[in-house]
Amino acid sequence: MQAPDSELVRAIAAGTREARAAEAELCRRFAPRIRLYGLRHLRDEDRARDLVQSVLLAVLQAARAGRIADPERVDRFMLGTSRNVAQRMRDGTSANAGDGPLATIPADVDDKPERADLAALVRCVSRLDDRSRQVVMLSFNEERPSDEIATRLAISTANVRVVRHRAIAALRRCLDGHKEADA
Amino acid sequence: MTCPDPIAWDTLVDYWAADLDPTATDDVEDHLFGCPACTAAAARVAAITEALRAALPPVLSRARIEQLRTRGARIRENTFSPGQRREVLFARDADLLIHRLAGLDLAQADRVDFRITDEATGDLIAAVEAVPFDPAEGAVYVACQRHYGTLPADTVMSVAVHAPGTPPRTATYTILHRFE
Repeated sequence: MQAPDSELVRAIAAGTREARAAEAELCRRFAPRIRLYGLRHLRDEDRARDLVQSVLLAVLQAARAGRIADPERVDRFMLGTSRNVAQRMRDGTSANAGDGPLATIPADVDDKPERADLAALVRCVSRLDDRSRQVVMLSFNEERPSDEIATRLAISTANVRVVRHRAIAALRRCLDGHKEADA
Repeated sequence: MTCPDPIAWDTLVDYWAADLDPTATDDVEDHLFGCPACTAAAARVAAITEALRAALPPVLSRARIEQLRTRGARIRENTFSPGQRREVLFARDADLLIHRLAGLDLAQADRVDFRITDEATGDLIAAVEAVPFDPAEGAVYVACQRHYGTLPADTVMSVAVHAPGTPPRTATYTILHRFE
């Protein structure tokens, strides 16, 4: 059974022989969560990756200095740090993580996130019915809000959401089918 | 890796569509940071939504093409007249092929729709309503991207021009793609 997050934080703070492995494990666990937060709020893969590095660096420094008051809630600490750093990045006031300190973050924190096969995605989108295709493209490619899509397609906002939920599920199944066929 | 109280698929889709209120957004993020299983589920949604977001639309404005060119994209343009059928080569040194579908009377147009079908089967490949157009140019610009290489190569592109008080007028162009 794997050690809880809190145990990793305590090992890092204690500076024991296991501290380095604990740092690597903490980074491995949280890098995907910080990356998703970055993608959602910064809308850019490179900036999301920068966020991962900056947040992990800040959290590791806090853990080493024993500044994480409640190790049981290190997930909240990670989220709070992500919010602060992302806000500074949006404001343009965030310092770069720097070359020196980056070396202290394990190099293998990038868990090779899934990238959709674009050609397969185009094919899957073309298999959606007209309304579903319009809703997903207006929602994600043109970033139109649901109420605007509803007005444009003469349907209710609730209906836009239902169509979108089903369409993304259909695209997921379609892409998974492509992957299985390619395997 | 399981979650006793997983975030619903619908909520994750709304989250990535930025269609949750701030409190619900915070709730999702609180959960995700404490839950590797739901993080994995959120990543499966994000792989699709973020690819859709990043995808270049199939029809671009002239301004967007110039912006891409300024950023260093290697763009080749081909002009087609209505009814024309011919081959185009996607050369190895090009990032983007632009098909300039010309000969359109767009002076009175209030909306232009675009469809692309497989010439052999008639199957729909893509359809986009209300594409960008410039009335003065009399053309729309289709961005053929290298990852389209696995789609049917021989295509029929249809442009439907809508103007108030008149039935839509459709022009077709048959474009046979060859990739280097």
